[in-house]
Amino acid sequence: MDISKLSLLEIVEKLRQREVTSEELVKYYIDRIEEYKDYNAVLEVFEDALDRAREMDEKIKQGFEGKLAGVPVIIKDNILYKGKKATCASRFLEDYVAQYSSTVVEKLIESGAVIIGRANMDEFAMGGSNENSAYGVCHNALDFDRVAGGSSGGSAVSVAKSLCACALGTDTGGSVRQPSSFNGLVGMKPTYGRVSRYGIVAFASSLDQVGPITKTVKDNAYLLSVISGYSKYDETSKKEEVEDYLSKIDGDIKDLKIGVCSEVKELVKGLPVEKTYFDLIERLKSQGNEIVEVSIKDLSLVMACYYIIAPAEATSNLGRFDGVKYSRREKGCQDIDEIYIKSRTSGFGKEVKRRIMLGNFVLSSGYFDAYYNKAKKVQQRLKKQTLDALASCDVLLLPTTCGEAFKIGEKIEDPISMYKEDIFTTLANITGLPALTLPCGKGENGMPLGMQFVGKEFEESKLYNLADYIERRRSEWNMI
Amino acid sequence: MKEIEIEEIKRLAGLSALEFDDEELEKFKGEFTSILNFIEEISKANVDGIELEYPTHDFDDLRDDEAVEGLSQEEVLANSPSTKKGSFCVPKMMEE
Repeated sequence: MDISKLSLLEIVEKLRQREVTSEELVKYYIDRIEEYKDYNAVLEVFEDALDRAREMDEKIKQGFEGKLAGVPVIIKDNILYKGKKATCASRFLEDYVAQYSSTVVEKLIESGAVIIGRANMDEFAMGGSNENSAYGVCHNALDFDRVAGGSSGGSAVSVAKSLCACALGTDTGGSVRQPSSFNGLVGMKPTYGRVSRYGIVAFASSLDQVGPITKTVKDNAYLLSVISGYSKYDETSKKEEVEDYLSKIDGDIKDLKIGVCSEVKELVKGLPVEKTYFDLIERLKSQGNEIVEVSIKDLSLVMACYYIIAPAEATSNLGRFDGVKYSRREKGCQDIDEIYIKSRTSGFGKEVKRRIMLGNFVLSSGYFDAYYNKAKKVQQRLKKQTLDALASCDVLLLPTTCGEAFKIGEKIEDPISMYKEDIFTTLANITGLPALTLPCGKGENGMPLGMQFVGKEFEESKLYNLADYIERRRSEWNMI
Repeated sequence: MKEIEIEEIKRLAGLSALEFDDEELEKFKGEFTSILNFIEEISKANVDGIELEYPTHDFDDLRDDEAVEGLSQEEVLANSPSTKKGSFCVPKMMEE
């Protein structure tokens, strides 16, 4: 049996049938993490992973039937797991040890998962290439010279390189979907509030969501059911019943109306993703799906809106890193101001500093109304326009990225060209709507290109159903 | 094209509790200018007639006001670089 070829659901089944033990799986993945350590996807393998696997094997023998019983999982380094380090790939939190577990980790553990390690990421989830990590660049699973994507690059590469059965990332502006797309995977940014943010190191609290990264659509649906749900420690998490997303996948998409946005059609012109996007529209049309032309007039403002709101919130959230409470303090400081300034200056990387500065700029007096307040108003109008568009269709189709994973070093010195990569992903965060990416084609260098479906609030199951339909026809349609 | 002054960068650094040397300041100035032009569209957007709504309805269902067990003092202090007698410790701030 080649474990690296198995989907999450196949692994779950093999564990249930006792064809493989959790211990065997964890040993296999730990060896593989070592074998592919040059990719720098995993920052730490937890030393109790094997013990926990043996414990789960014992429980499985006794009849435990948790959804992820014995399944090895990797989590992004900004997700708290009690007793384990969570550094957010920052020097600042080099020695930070979580004192409690996030809701998602508790849900994983209740369902029997074995969390084997923490994944590399862009520092504090700020970036789209995983080049902004204090612990080194993470390399793309399919081409070592290309970026993993970000910010959840390590999580994506861990799944693509089969260093775990599935992984969790977080998505504030595309950080689950873009690296999933760059590594040929399925990634979901759920509806805001679907998954509790309790125990996630906050970046932009009104936009952050945890999301699953998997090899297949069904795997993703299965994992989202595990991590979803209300937590009394996160008042923005919602009480809507958690669906069994997997069981909702029924292969019937004929009544699904696909919204195609005229502004997106304009934006993709000339981009490497153009052909894949229009090909998919044609494919869906030929399946009998109604393609509805819709419009989101302010779409061109979504990036500016995002790059005002996200840094503004980040500035406030990162204020807690003051050299007093968490992990780092620069030595030899004479007074409290020196502690603040020196600890932050030496503890944060370039991109994090850039965003803190930008956040302070848009929030500072004289600029607040011109930038932050206006961005919030534009956000409100964008959400209304998007919901109006979704009133005449079930899902919106957008590309996930502009093109294939770019070369390491290609954009790192030019923040604007890096920010522009997020053009198709930020809409889902700005509006709070769910969005899923799956590979739907290849670029001229043979790297995967993802397509994205954005749905109505809490209609993740429609996205999964449609994506599964496409996934099963992908080879027939010559997409991969 | 809007350009940002070094003095303004210094002011933001102060607000951010960050320090930059002269070379970094120069580099920052260039980057910041292009970022500002990137977000500039927003300040030009016409938002007349939009009243900001605040989603207060999400907060109807608050927890009961009951004392519950939280993190212990030890846990709260566990990640601090300097503690003394159950407190976070910083250099003296006031003269005697």
